[in-house]
Amino acid sequence: METLLVHLALVAYASGTAAFLTWLVQPDDRWPRIGRWLLLAGAVVHFASFAAMQSGTVWKAGQLFSLLAACTVTGYIWLDRKGGIPIAGVFVAPLTLAVMAPAHIVGSAQHEVAPRLWHSGALVFHVAVAALGTAALALAFGVSALYLASEKQAKSKRPGRIFARLTSLDSIDRTAWRLAVWGFVFLSATIATGSVVSSSATGSAFPFAPKQAFAVLAWALFAAMIQARLVAGWRGRRIALLVVIGFVLLAGVYAGLLSASPSLVALGAWI
Amino acid sequence: MTTICVGVSHKQAPIAVRERLAVPADKLPEKLQQLKSLPGVREAMVISTCNRLEIFATTASREIAEDIVESLDPAAGPLAACRFDDDALHHLFRVAASLDSMVVGEAQILGQVKEAAAAAQAAGTLGSELQKAVARASTAAKRVRTETEIARGAVSISSVAAELAKKLLGELAGRSVLLLGAGEMAQLAARELRSQGTRELLVANRNSQRAEELAREVDGVPVSLGELPSLLERADVVICSTGADHHIVTRELMAKAIKARRYRPLFLVDISLPRNVEPAVNEIDSVYLYDLDDLERVAAQNRELRAAQVSKAEEIVLDELRTFLAKANERRSVPVLGLLRQQAEAIARAEAEKTLTALAGLDERQQKSVRAMASAIVNKLLHAPTAKLRAEAGQGPLAEAAMQLFALAEAASAEPERPDTAQVIPMAVGR
Repeated sequence: METLLVHLALVAYASGTAAFLTWLVQPDDRWPRIGRWLLLAGAVVHFASFAAMQSGTVWKAGQLFSLLAACTVTGYIWLDRKGGIPIAGVFVAPLTLAVMAPAHIVGSAQHEVAPRLWHSGALVFHVAVAALGTAALALAFGVSALYLASEKQAKSKRPGRIFARLTSLDSIDRTAWRLAVWGFVFLSATIATGSVVSSSATGSAFPFAPKQAFAVLAWALFAAMIQARLVAGWRGRRIALLVVIGFVLLAGVYAGLLSASPSLVALGAWI
Repeated sequence: MTTICVGVSHKQAPIAVRERLAVPADKLPEKLQQLKSLPGVREAMVISTCNRLEIFATTASREIAEDIVESLDPAAGPLAACRFDDDALHHLFRVAASLDSMVVGEAQILGQVKEAAAAAQAAGTLGSELQKAVARASTAAKRVRTETEIARGAVSISSVAAELAKKLLGELAGRSVLLLGAGEMAQLAARELRSQGTRELLVANRNSQRAEELAREVDGVPVSLGELPSLLERADVVICSTGADHHIVTRELMAKAIKARRYRPLFLVDISLPRNVEPAVNEIDSVYLYDLDDLERVAAQNRELRAAQVSKAEEIVLDELRTFLAKANERRSVPVLGLLRQQAEAIARAEAEKTLTALAGLDERQQKSVRAMASAIVNKLLHAPTAKLRAEAGQGPLAEAAMQLFALAEAASAEPERPDTAQVIPMAVGR
């Protein structure tokens, strides 16, 4: 049942992606509406798949990706409803698919949580804030990428399709900023709770591994970005670039998760 | 019944004629009543805008178009275009979809068509035919707007500037606009921005007296050009159109200003010749500079985009028109069909009851079977004639033939309790 629901969600996300991409080449306002509804339907079915999981089921590493995808889509729908930026769907929908694909691949792998962590509240909190933070930063990344593309068109004085379909550059900048700040807050909480979980599992609060290094680098970059905005007043292209780079670093964390060494697997792949 | 459109638009008449024909809103009810009082006119609606006067009417015959033309100003007579039936409806759909507008894709015309219908409704000159036509024309216009890019992008320099400002800065309410110089096009752009609800319009000129005059004209605040560095920190949109032969806004000046304004985006429009803003200003983060050529290029791009969408929009209009005409034709064939079926069913019912009386002693189920058989015979017999009459839709000889063959008119007059039958005579709807 649970697998069927995940498959249905995947189909809805894929169809939503197709609708948004069609919108880029076919100027019919019905496409983003269709895409939005498909993503919403996908998210509902997706969350239902989590609800359908039997209690006590041990979460696998890939399911974090899956949860991340559901959170990202939900965040996008909320964002679009609030700010009216349907064009962000052009980035978010494929991104969701890209996140869901590893969820399926890794979902069948044996990256299970160490038994001693099965009942760890810190681990649950860690996973939840990691999913929320990454979803917020994924959205910030999508919106920032959109900003950069649109800003380039505005600067080149040849406004194209993205520019035409977009809300104002200023509001995109503000949206990306807010998402990045929330993402930073959750990322901070993720790193803090991660060290607690790691400490109780291995005795080391911060084991040196590429995943942890990427997480800290991303955190430092986002911290610098916030500093630059608040103190020096940076905004627009510079902030968007920093968000994009920060998210790429964060993606390194998940790449580390996928290529976890046997010892890390034993530890529990998402610590 | 005939649908007539008598129109004079920017395509046929110069503005000098159009302004004589325009019907002010307060005179519209009177004009509508005048049209309705013409012999043979059943419904009338008048669309009067600065670019067109269109009179739509449903009438007893085409000849009434001449009376309508005569009711206009004599100057309009030779210029007026008369369209009938499908052509008239097609024109209404095209007008509502802004395909016949001076600026194709402009948004106001649909509202003006709806207002015209509302005025006719209020004056009691709008009947069901025109009402349905306007409703369908609105649907077509909405489809055109959502399914094509015909309405996207501004096509004049001043509106391109205002649209870009909104795209870059968001809502303009609360924003500050600085007008440097007194060029006519710059004033137009400033007025356009002012109409979008900007918080303040600062007017700077080398001649302070001229600045004050201009500020009064555009509802702005006069400021000194000497304060330019601080003005660049304050304004969100700068429209530059001075007569200076050098760069007034340099890269260095702008770099300082943008830092001081903490990278808040600034939109510079340089409409002066020679240019007053150093082109390198555009390289600075959060600063967007557009000169006259840039604005014209965007306007041309938008015009091309709109032109490319026209054929698609025309297809949508035709699609909606076909649907409308098919439904209208179906509606016209319904009265004859209704009468025919009513008469046949009455005969079948009567014969079935006669048979049931003769075959006394049938139980409930058997009686039901006899009645069902009679009804089935009627259905089978009328199936082909119904299809033919629907296809003909009251426009061919079959409806009249059916009336004669089955003596439907007599049957209708014999049943006064059914008022609908008074309208059953098929109306000659042809082009």
